[in-house]
Amino acid sequence: MFSSWLPVELTQMAHNVDSFFYIMLGVVAFFFVLVEALLITFLIRYRRTRRNPTGAAVHGNTKLEVVWMLVPAAILIGLGAFCVPYVYALQKPPAQDVTIRVTGHEWYWDFEYPNGAHARTLEVPAGTPVLFDITSADVIHGFYIPDVRLQQDALPGRITQFWINIKPDMVGHVFDVPCDQFCGAGHSQMHATGRVVTQAEFQQWVSSLKK
Amino acid sequence: MEAVLSHPRPRRQSFVREWVLTVDHKKIGVMYGVTAIFFFLLGGLFALLVRTDLLVPQGVFDAQSYNEFFTMHATIMIFLVIIPLLTGAFGNYLIPLHIGARDMAFPRMNALSYWLYLASGVIMLCSMAGGMPDAGWTAYPPYSVSAKGSGIDFWIFSVHLAGLSSILGAINFLVTIHKMRAPGMSFNRMTLFTWSIWVTAWMQLFGTPALAGAITTLLSDRHWSTVFYNASAGGDPMLYQHLFWFYSHPAVYIMILPAFGIISEVLPVFSRKPIFGYHAIAYSSVAIGFLGFFVWAHHMFVAGMQMSEGIPFMISSLVIAVPTSVKIFNWLATMWRGSVEYSVPMMYASLGFIGSFIIGGFSGVLVAAVPLDMDLHDTYFVVAHIHYVLFGGSVMTIMAGLHFWFPKVTGRMYNKTLGHVSFWFYFVGTQLTFFPMHFLGLAGMPRRYATYPPQYMFWNDVATIGSYVLGLGTLLIVANLFWAAKYGVKVGPNPWGAQTLEWQVSSPPPEHNFDEIPTVTDNPYRPYDPPQPEPEANPTWA
Repeated sequence: MFSSWLPVELTQMAHNVDSFFYIMLGVVAFFFVLVEALLITFLIRYRRTRRNPTGAAVHGNTKLEVVWMLVPAAILIGLGAFCVPYVYALQKPPAQDVTIRVTGHEWYWDFEYPNGAHARTLEVPAGTPVLFDITSADVIHGFYIPDVRLQQDALPGRITQFWINIKPDMVGHVFDVPCDQFCGAGHSQMHATGRVVTQAEFQQWVSSLKK
Repeated sequence: MEAVLSHPRPRRQSFVREWVLTVDHKKIGVMYGVTAIFFFLLGGLFALLVRTDLLVPQGVFDAQSYNEFFTMHATIMIFLVIIPLLTGAFGNYLIPLHIGARDMAFPRMNALSYWLYLASGVIMLCSMAGGMPDAGWTAYPPYSVSAKGSGIDFWIFSVHLAGLSSILGAINFLVTIHKMRAPGMSFNRMTLFTWSIWVTAWMQLFGTPALAGAITTLLSDRHWSTVFYNASAGGDPMLYQHLFWFYSHPAVYIMILPAFGIISEVLPVFSRKPIFGYHAIAYSSVAIGFLGFFVWAHHMFVAGMQMSEGIPFMISSLVIAVPTSVKIFNWLATMWRGSVEYSVPMMYASLGFIGSFIIGGFSGVLVAAVPLDMDLHDTYFVVAHIHYVLFGGSVMTIMAGLHFWFPKVTGRMYNKTLGHVSFWFYFVGTQLTFFPMHFLGLAGMPRRYATYPPQYMFWNDVATIGSYVLGLGTLLIVANLFWAAKYGVKVGPNPWGAQTLEWQVSSPPPEHNFDEIPTVTDNPYRPYDPPQPEPEANPTWA
């Protein structure tokens, strides 16, 4: 039941995203418990009884207002600032990389490898940066790899990008590549299968593909 | 005898004269309400079809039908249910009463707003004949340009009319609130519901034209060979998304601000206390209305924007949670040291709304963060988020408002026991339906899927069972209210002991609202006097 809580982390970046998730989940869970506890306490403690027929004549409290405005503001802006370095790191692809061109079609993914060969399956080498150049041949698709916690829409006439660097101990792992931007009747069937291979296996596999 | 003669009993009006030709804001409000409840049942039926499809991984219906179902579900619920109910029904009925006016500023334009809304709904229904729209309520091009059939054209026409109705309604609310307040009612003496409708109207006025532009160009691309969104001819599909979300993110606040207003009316009455932090709640609505226009691109973090371009939108999206949390804390403080009555509206407002809505607020903080959105965007996590906001938030509040003002509108009371039973159906159904979607999203299940990998089946089935519980709860509520409208026990003007102006006139209020326009000298939320001790035969304290 809970085995599908979060998918495998193929990359260090995925691990960082999960860390963000757990930190932010911790913060919001704290406030969630606080608010629910106050709500239920007040509902029970201050319920209408014969001895408590009417509420107190209280209109507000400026100090409290300032506290519960500034504290959440500081926490929220802090959380946002905390995320900023990750965004810039993700935006700048490493200099040396293997580029795979991804094209969304109704309803399949096409992958073009560095030698110009095409395939419907995604083989990615571990231990080296891999850059995806993502586009579409028809409508908008969503190129999503849950196991690396990343996605970009595939748009016609535009190239979007993200890069990954899969941990070497993940070789042999098979992962799902769904389309997650609605694209018509075949949307939920639009999956590719991805496989993590060694760099040698990758070269071999790519050269075995017909151009 | 003279008194009777001077107030001759009015002749019973025909249905056409009483309803179809009416320009009375109360009757128009009721018509909005009844029409929207009909669409609520229809939109709910589509939701149940969607959930039924997802009972099994391979789907029960074919994918095309599934796509039509979720498109109709979202479109109906947003454009034909939540917005018309909150602004059209509650706003129309209550604003003139809350500000001490006899009607809206432009009564005939008000009637026009309703009839445009009804036409919009009828056109949406007509689309079923020619192949329902299947592009989602967002209708992103190029898919929506290339989609076959007339469904999307009906959809565009219908949304256009709903938008026009919204704009006219917004102008009417703004003029009414600015020009027609009773003597002595400064802005800082308005009810918080009036504040929320005032901000909402500004948002509708500024936002809706962007949506109109987006869908007009979409129609033009579909039929008149223009290339606004055709990338191969130099157009840009992302332009549509910017225009669409420039309206549709503020629309989320259009769907929640009046709900906040309703909560601010219900909580003090059933806590027997003045609202805590009147100014903080009023001004935080204004802050939300302003900030609401600077967050739209958080829907587009993965849509092709430069990643770092998301950062300012991430910050504004996080900051907009501040005025919302200010409200939550003030509502809690309103209950603190109160005398809380477990009435049906109070159950919806406290446990139902606060208890559920904060889950949507907190998941909103998570998806506002760019790194998390890169993962969770377009997954079921977002579906869970919006349903906790719109169902746990807006619809729970609508139920609170319906049960709160029902005796005012009809002069009768519903069955309270059945009201409590249906509340628990609603509360449990909401959690069962929408909470599991968080797990599905975190596990990586994309949204708008007619079929899914088998490992997602367990939580999908829990959600589907929950949706049936919700469906049953909805039927109970509607049956209870419609039965009570005719056969319920009659009640006096102020069955809840509330303080705002609408409770000071008869139930239902007379056509002209007030025999004498009240002069306002104070804030609408005042301390409650202790109830008079009931007379006893042998007082023990004597």
